[in-house]
Amino acid sequence: MRQKADVQQGTLALMVLKTLEVLGPLHGYGIARRIEQISGDALEVNQGTLYPVLLKLEQEGAIASEWGASENNRKARFYRLTRGGRRQLQAERRDWEQTAAIIERFLAARGEDLG
Amino acid sequence: MSALRRFFARLGNSVAKEGHEERLNAEIEEHLALQTAENIRGGMTPEEARRQAVLKFGAVEAIKEDYRAERGLPFLEALAQDIRYGLRILAKSPGFTAIAILTLALGIGANTAIFSLIDAVMLRTLPVKDPSQLVLLRWNGRKPPQIQAYMTSGDCPNNIRPGGENPSGCSFSEPMFREFAQTRLFSGVAAFADAGRLDLTGNGAASVISGQLVSGDFFRTLGLRAAAGRLIEPSDDMSSATAVAVLNYGYWQSAFGGSRDAIGRTIELNSVPFTIIGVAEQRFSGFAPGTHDDVWLPLADAKRITTDLTFWMNREDNVAYWWLTVVARLEAKTPEPQAQAALTGLFRNEMIHGPVPSFVASIGMAEPPRPMPQSGPAPVKLAPSAEPTPTAAGLPASMPPGGGPGSQNMAFVPAPDTAQKSPKAVSPGSAPSGQVQPPMTLSTPDDDPRITLVPAQSGLTGLSTYYANPLYVLMAAVGIILLIACANVAGLMLARSTSRQREMAVRLALGASPGRVVRQLLTESVMLSVFGGVLGIILAYWGAHAILSFVSSNQPRPIGYALGVDPRLLGFTVAVAVLTGILFGLAPAFRSARVDFAPALKGGFGVSASTRRVEGRWLSAGNALVAAQVALAIVVLVGAGLLLRTLKNLRSEDIGFDAHNLVIFDIDPTLAGYKDAQIESFYRDLQSRLAATPGVKSASYSQHPLLSGLMMKIGFHWPDTPQGRMSEANFLEIGPEFFQTMRIPFLLGRDFNASDYEIANTNSVAIPAADSPPTPTIVNQAFVAKYLGKEEPVGKQFGQSAGSDMMPRSAGYEIVGVVRDTKYANLRSEDSVTMYLPQSRGGASFELRTAADPQALLPAIRKAVAQLNPNLPLFHVKTESEQIDELLFQERLIARLFGFFGGLALLLACIGLYGLLSYEVSRRTREIGIRMALGAQPERVLKLVLRQGLGLAIVGAVVGIGLALGVTRYLQSMLYGVKWNDPGTIAAVAVLLALVALAACYIPARRATRVAPMVALRDE
Repeated sequence: MRQKADVQQGTLALMVLKTLEVLGPLHGYGIARRIEQISGDALEVNQGTLYPVLLKLEQEGAIASEWGASENNRKARFYRLTRGGRRQLQAERRDWEQTAAIIERFLAARGEDLG
Repeated sequence: MSALRRFFARLGNSVAKEGHEERLNAEIEEHLALQTAENIRGGMTPEEARRQAVLKFGAVEAIKEDYRAERGLPFLEALAQDIRYGLRILAKSPGFTAIAILTLALGIGANTAIFSLIDAVMLRTLPVKDPSQLVLLRWNGRKPPQIQAYMTSGDCPNNIRPGGENPSGCSFSEPMFREFAQTRLFSGVAAFADAGRLDLTGNGAASVISGQLVSGDFFRTLGLRAAAGRLIEPSDDMSSATAVAVLNYGYWQSAFGGSRDAIGRTIELNSVPFTIIGVAEQRFSGFAPGTHDDVWLPLADAKRITTDLTFWMNREDNVAYWWLTVVARLEAKTPEPQAQAALTGLFRNEMIHGPVPSFVASIGMAEPPRPMPQSGPAPVKLAPSAEPTPTAAGLPASMPPGGGPGSQNMAFVPAPDTAQKSPKAVSPGSAPSGQVQPPMTLSTPDDDPRITLVPAQSGLTGLSTYYANPLYVLMAAVGIILLIACANVAGLMLARSTSRQREMAVRLALGASPGRVVRQLLTESVMLSVFGGVLGIILAYWGAHAILSFVSSNQPRPIGYALGVDPRLLGFTVAVAVLTGILFGLAPAFRSARVDFAPALKGGFGVSASTRRVEGRWLSAGNALVAAQVALAIVVLVGAGLLLRTLKNLRSEDIGFDAHNLVIFDIDPTLAGYKDAQIESFYRDLQSRLAATPGVKSASYSQHPLLSGLMMKIGFHWPDTPQGRMSEANFLEIGPEFFQTMRIPFLLGRDFNASDYEIANTNSVAIPAADSPPTPTIVNQAFVAKYLGKEEPVGKQFGQSAGSDMMPRSAGYEIVGVVRDTKYANLRSEDSVTMYLPQSRGGASFELRTAADPQALLPAIRKAVAQLNPNLPLFHVKTESEQIDELLFQERLIARLFGFFGGLALLLACIGLYGLLSYEVSRRTREIGIRMALGAQPERVLKLVLRQGLGLAIVGAVVGIGLALGVTRYLQSMLYGVKWNDPGTIAAVAVLLALVALAACYIPARRATRVAPMVALRDE
């Protein structure tokens, strides 16, 4: 149970970082919408699960947050990527691509390749 | 890095909670508002839009929980929660909590107190630089060396008695030490000895301080630094050098206010001026464990501060006078075995081939002021060492009394096991006369004299030897107390966990994991032990100081043990506290977690078969715990009983004289420069003044008081025994009217008269003329029984000697009277063959028989002394009863502590018994109700409960008596007048326990009889 949640959380964290890199400072709802838009229906996650992830990233120093005004002119918490976050994004992206490539190769492999 | 950062952020959040909750709420609110707005834009009604937004967001509470978990440290928070909850639970049953905490506090406190004493006395490292490099020199051989005097300052164990086998010791002669010091095998060699009584003038009122004589290299070898000024150096240790003194830091603070001006000042010690050159570093208050010295003086000044040169015996270059303890610092280039072999070579050579000054020769060189005292074929008193005065220095000793066949000279020997006041010299001398084989040597090749190097840390035992046994015995007792305390609290927890089954079942049913429940229970028990531990440390601190001050108040000089909390001590206590917590917390905790909660929820105890089985098992565990407590309590109680009886036996021992209304004090006119005949006239003068003081019935004096722990022995030749065979007796030199003052009845003959004192004086100050009359002596019954049998004692002469090359001439003794036996050195001693001689020299103790309470007379006594000479201090002013208390202080201490621990053990065991039965009664309320509803009489119910309680007590008592018989034999050496398996004591303890157990059982049993059947039946 726990293991699976971690994986999900990790994936979600990467998505958050990438979103902030592309779009700049954004509030929680904006991040959630962006992730939904990109992943479409493929990702069925409650929007609320984003908030613990944001907190974790903030405590790690990858993102920072401050109060700002939202579109409807109300108080909202805006998150932005820090320099450390940018580095973390690079690192995690490399890791992810590496992992993906390995899995890809594995799945593509046929019997004779192993001979 | 980021993980660490996150940890600290979470840790911070755990502590400061506010803010985050609101922030999350605000964010969620805004999130939902934005989503709702979006949905409305998408065409939903506001209500539907809000509903969909919430749905999409997910379970708000679950997310909040996740968020919280992410924000802080869940473990820490759960712990805080456990602790809060635990506190609430503990506060809810204050009776249980108080008993548990108090039980543990007493257990842990007693252990910490005794351990801190053991730590201070036995485990403290020597207060010097790199103590591991320091070695103590010990000699051993097959037979005692042919020496004239042997003194020890109580720094290490010595086993040397005339004629004894395999003697060993750590005192050496000064020439031997100088030879060792020149070897270059070590980076330093140092010698030291107790300085004896030092009478200090020149700094306020005259006072008596303690000091140590040290060789010039002492401080450098030990690696000590000066706190002020400088320390003694080799150049100070020369007879031509100015006399200098180094102060103890604490003494510097107390007597000189820690002033730097003290350095360079001159003080007088035994009327010799000493210049203060410095203060030793603070941590060094004495070398061997437990020793405390106010000043350190160069060895070269030893002779100058000697108040009675009679006993000096050319010590500085006499190879037959062994008096210095020697330590050395090992050097890397000389490994220990090599150093040891080299020293043995030197030692052996000196022992086997070195010349020994013949007895007479050594006396001939011995000193100016007064010729050596002499006597008999076996010369008599050589060293009732006046200068390290009996009463002055305060080290206990465990030397066997000297004398015996072959004893050559006499000496001053503290009795075996009391002796709180040494230094002492024994002379394990040679077989005298007859077989003179000049040139004499100290030893022969057959004796195989050797040197062993032992680590100074373990070799220098100081006072520790003296306290080791009682401390270990006490440690065993408090260890048992701790076991009882643990068993007690475990029993309490066990009973409680049963009554909390329903609570646990509810928690499990609500989804708490078993691990969480166990953790909760463990937290509670560890909390109990932490509280108990904290309270225990407070008790321990107080207790250890109380014990130490009790010990010091019974010592003639300060004890140099520092009590303090050090990491080892803390570690010990914490380990005991935590282990106790886990030990008694774990079993009930696991049990609770395994509860089959359905029946428990239904509220019935013993409803399901499985529960009953589990309960049955745990109940028997409870029974076993209680029986174990009783058994362990019996062990401590039997020990306490034996020790209390020992004390009682010693107190009721017939001492042979009247100890009531008797004041004693020491005085030493030689300190004020009195010499020879002046001394005796001073004593007579003082005696008559004191006797004339209103309230004083009579006054007398003796070398030292009876029952002071000191003993003098004398050797002589008894007529008609083989030539060369030595006989011996205790002796005491006394003033006129001694027997009358002490109320020792005469059986035959007469007291000393003036001419007896004259003869004794003549015979003791010079080698007596050939025709000088024998010294008159009064002997006791034991002497008559041992040497005379049916022969008429009065008029009997013995101990005459014409003198020989080795032995001076002696006029011998003539018995003029016989008195009743008394105890001499201590209450335990069976060795009472004693002869009394007229006293004419040296320091003395005065004995005053008073009409009423002696305390009120003390000012008048001081005044009488001051009228005679205002500069003479009185030492050790006390009543004979106080003296006996001091003598018995170790027995009193042990008996008192053991009695206390025995009572504690009994109390704890009874609490355990009471707790178990109370629980039993409440558990069986329903059953008892049914029985009573069916017509059972209250007496039957009473018996039902009592039977279980007493059954446990009996089982415990039987096991306990078995255990006690197994361990009390180790107490035998501390007992007096009672055997370790004394049936009376064991029976008394068993009866006591049975009575107390009955009382403990009666209360819950009584409650059981009051059970109202209807209430009991409605109970579920």
